[in-house]
Amino acid sequence: MSNMEQAAPRSLIFERLGGGKAMWITTAVMVVILAVLPFILPNRFYIRLVNEIMIYGLLAMSLDVLLGYTGLLSFMHNAYLGLGAYATGLFMIHIWPESIWVAMLVGTVFTMAVALPVGWVQVRTGGLAFALLTLAFGMMFYTVAWKWYDLTGGDDGLMGLPQPDITLFGLKLASSGNSTAIYLFTLAILLICFVFTWRVIHSPLGAVLEAIRENEERASFVGINVRRYKLIGWMLACGLAGTAGSIYILYRGYTGPGVMGAFEGAGVLMMVLLGGMGTLWGPFIGAALFIVLKDQLSSWTQDWEIFIGAIVILLVLFLPKGVAGVPALFNRQSGGED
Amino acid sequence: MSTTILTTQDLSRAFGGVLAVNLVNLEVRDKMVQSVIGPNGAGKTTLINVITGRLAASGGKVLYLEKDITSRAVHHRVKMGISRTFQITSIFMGLSVWENVRIAVQSHLGGSLRILSARPSLGSVNDKTEAILKRVGLYKLAERPANLLAHGDQRVLEVAISLASDPKVLFLDEPAAGMSPAETDQVSELIADLGTEMAVVLVEHDMEVVMKISHHIIVLHQGGVIARGTPREIASNQEVKDAYLGGDDWAPLSNV
Repeated sequence: MSNMEQAAPRSLIFERLGGGKAMWITTAVMVVILAVLPFILPNRFYIRLVNEIMIYGLLAMSLDVLLGYTGLLSFMHNAYLGLGAYATGLFMIHIWPESIWVAMLVGTVFTMAVALPVGWVQVRTGGLAFALLTLAFGMMFYTVAWKWYDLTGGDDGLMGLPQPDITLFGLKLASSGNSTAIYLFTLAILLICFVFTWRVIHSPLGAVLEAIRENEERASFVGINVRRYKLIGWMLACGLAGTAGSIYILYRGYTGPGVMGAFEGAGVLMMVLLGGMGTLWGPFIGAALFIVLKDQLSSWTQDWEIFIGAIVILLVLFLPKGVAGVPALFNRQSGGED
Repeated sequence: MSTTILTTQDLSRAFGGVLAVNLVNLEVRDKMVQSVIGPNGAGKTTLINVITGRLAASGGKVLYLEKDITSRAVHHRVKMGISRTFQITSIFMGLSVWENVRIAVQSHLGGSLRILSARPSLGSVNDKTEAILKRVGLYKLAERPANLLAHGDQRVLEVAISLASDPKVLFLDEPAAGMSPAETDQVSELIADLGTEMAVVLVEHDMEVVMKISHHIIVLHQGGVIARGTPREIASNQEVKDAYLGGDDWAPLSNV
């Protein structure tokens, strides 16, 4: 008893954030490693590869909010990354090129504004119908990006993005054209989004989402307005995807409709499954695995999708909980056999 | 006589051309255990489903505290004080026993939108969760994942969940199904106890339980009410005996 009382004040900060001390120490170590990486990596190519992993990790994490916590399958979550990217890009090109922050805010808010009516329709369904609606809406957005040439540049994509300075409280930090600067900027946004999402998922709201995932009918029979909370989960996931999209276009200086395609959407889904859903951090490992594998395989063969597909099949069969499920697997085996 | 909590007026529910619930008039009174019995397919579960909002009514009305709630959303009915368990156990399998009840209490007491707080920070929610789990006897299993509980404990957990919303009327759909005799005794004691605080509507096949703890019984047959009365009146009712396979195995008679 006295032990517990003594331990309580020290762990208070971790309790407030949710998750254990080990988890936050790991996070801090990862952030430090990621922060020094651009100064160690041999060339720009690898910096950009890790940058891409961070952006897609953020997207995959946002999909995990839906898939792993609310129990909703979105086939084309990348469509909302695309919306954020196009909105940010168009705003900078046509309206105000000066501020990276305002452009990101516009990208995120626009994505959520589009996601709201879509979500309103989608949450009236569940299961397979919900998943099919995400596919239908995603394909509509993809087609708009692809065919509305005058606005989006169609197949050619959105080009001529200005490169404003990265500023903080009016202080110029670096140019967004600098790949190390945009890398560190991505890391900072990613950290903010991760801590925020972690906090929300481990709050009373996250408990409601988990209840819906576990048993939608029982959730409504304890008085939860299931549609309303599904919509909240959806909006959270789409807002984060829009933020990821805003960084994506700043990082690439360009976006095309391809980023919104169904094939890409399947890739994001694989990242979540590879890493382990319902963990928030698993999807980052999944994104790293997927993007590194894609990079290695595609330098070796044009048909890299076949091999990624095979690896995913093996993982689904033998590691159904993804990489995040490995420790539990190991514990069980050593506990049972030793 | 205690006050009336809920009534149904000519409540009906059709599946295709079949009337599973046919013009049922029910009066649910406070602080009583009222049982709905009848042979398989009599429409007992369908009746509960329509009253609690799981199924829409095809005709008639459900009045709760004199308000027409026939087409209210499920979560509204729960907030108003109508709670239930299911014939097939419906709990949050992947969550701990504690969290199963805690989320139900949270939904009732509020705080679900406090996104910057930790879950355990809702003090009154914790207190109530603890009280409910102690009452049903599951407090010592609070940490256990619900899917690892024994079947009987899962049934009891569902009762605990349904108590979180401070119901005025509680519908229990075969709570003792699949339970051992010892578990059945415990759960019927709990139900009888709940019946002193709220209106309890019990659907149960175990006639021993029904006859022991019910104040009032309604007999359904082919969707319609064929008899209502005290356990003793029902046990000696010829029409009820006929409804149950011609009366030969109408066991309750011998027990009363």
